[in-house]
Amino acid sequence: MSESMHITLNVWRQKNAQEEGRLEAHACDVSPDMSFLEVLDVLNDKLVSEGKEAIAFEHDCREGICGSCSLVLNGQAHGPHKNTTTCQLHMRSFKSGDNITVEPFRAAAFPVLKDLVVDRSAFDRIQQSGGYVSVNTGSAPAANAVLVPKDDADSAMDAAQCIGCGACVAACPNASAMLFVSAKIAHLGLLPQGQPERKKRALAMVSAMDREGFGNCSNHFECGAACPKGISVANIARLNRDWLGAVLTEREERKDQGD
Amino acid sequence: MPTWLQKILSSSLGKKYITAITGLLLVLFLVAHLAGNLTIYADKDGSAFNSYAHLIESNPLLPLAEAGLLVLFLAHIGLAVRVTIENRRARRSRYAVANDKGKKTTSSATMIWTGLIVLGFLILHIWNFRIGKELAGESGDLYTLVKSELRQGWTPWAYVVGMGALGFHLWHALRSAFQTLGAAHPYLDEAWEKLRWLAVVLALGFASFPLYFLFYT
Ligand code: HEM
Ligand code: FES
Repeated sequence: MSESMHITLNVWRQKNAQEEGRLEAHACDVSPDMSFLEVLDVLNDKLVSEGKEAIAFEHDCREGICGSCSLVLNGQAHGPHKNTTTCQLHMRSFKSGDNITVEPFRAAAFPVLKDLVVDRSAFDRIQQSGGYVSVNTGSAPAANAVLVPKDDADSAMDAAQCIGCGACVAACPNASAMLFVSAKIAHLGLLPQGQPERKKRALAMVSAMDREGFGNCSNHFECGAACPKGISVANIARLNRDWLGAVLTEREERKDQGD
Repeated sequence: MPTWLQKILSSSLGKKYITAITGLLLVLFLVAHLAGNLTIYADKDGSAFNSYAHLIESNPLLPLAEAGLLVLFLAHIGLAVRVTIENRRARRSRYAVANDKGKKTTSSATMIWTGLIVLGFLILHIWNFRIGKELAGESGDLYTLVKSELRQGWTPWAYVVGMGALGFHLWHALRSAFQTLGAAHPYLDEAWEKLRWLAVVLALGFASFPLYFLFYT
């Protein structure tokens, strides 16, 4: 095993959504090969053995694909690296002697539930408002029955990489959810299967986003830099276009339906 | 109000669309305004500037254009302030460690402050020339008024500060507005990166007038 490192974690502790939180310092000896979440595991073991309460934090896959882990490390969502989730961040990215401040994602729409755990169900509600396509069930369709241009498939797949972790909101000075929503709009709106609901989707998802109390987009582009999946801010421009088209043509559609 | 306009104004994206469109129209106005003001440099006695000013003032559509400008400013300021307040509300608790991933800039992070400085400048500017012109009546020519105002006490320096703020405001604004309007594409983005230098041209261009009157006349 490589040499151990001494680090100090300043961890945000908060009993529940109502009470005020504060930072709590913990000295830890860690291996450079540990992931950041493993450091928290070891620290929690120690806290529990001392009869103290473990630090609450979210995790599931620990391989960068589920979007459960969160954390803001020294003011950066998912820590200092590009295209990396907190669970995939290793202690070799830090130096022995480092102070690391560990905070929850901060946004009015993501209230802190306990310690480092925030309620991200606002994303679920946005998704439910329109982030889907309707398909006929039954026998499987013939392969390649629906043709998809390669470029569109590529861009849709890039957008589909979004794991909904919320780092875009955490990193945005306005706590805006535009990168998340735009990834869903691009992912579904670029494919033929997503066309029937495209306008409705853009309008519904933007309204849902506004209802949740996320901020507006000021085009700082911090979201794209913080995204562990490298989702491009070009998707935000696409969302802006799609939404305007939907607003301006929505009335005609209603007239067609005899409304 | 038609429903589509209501929809636009009640949506986060709609508010940004109108902020961007009004902002870009104001930029067009600034380009025309700077081009006209350059007649100041055409001669030493100001006759070129005065005849340009006369051309504008004798246009019967001037009150309409002034009203249009006022509407653009009020819409832009009203929506931008509202958007900024909403943004502050969306992040009530601050991070203990302030940090970022290097994308936001001084210019993008200070839009409301540079905007408010520009607003302060505008009030001074309208007081100096729009109201000042009425007070001077028919007698004074505009060039003489401009020259005397721009050499008086702290006025020229307030103009320079105002134009510095405008430069910072537009450095982010000219990049941001096209993204807001959805006009992003690898080729377009390259063009916008060049266009943002217009911010520097406008700021230096306008700031040159008080400096000229202060030091060269
Ligand atoms: C000649 C004057 C002005 C011009 C040409 C101008 C232009 C612009 C443009 C083009 C934008 C970009 C819109 C976008 O982000 O999509 C913008 C944004 C903004 N403007 Fe102005 N502006 C002017 C004056 C003002 C004033 C007086 C205020 C006063 C409060 C102001 C406040 C703002 C703010 C806060 C934003 C950013 C909105 C956001 O966060 O998204 N501006 N401006
Ligand atoms: S725990 Fe699944 S992405 Fe980090």
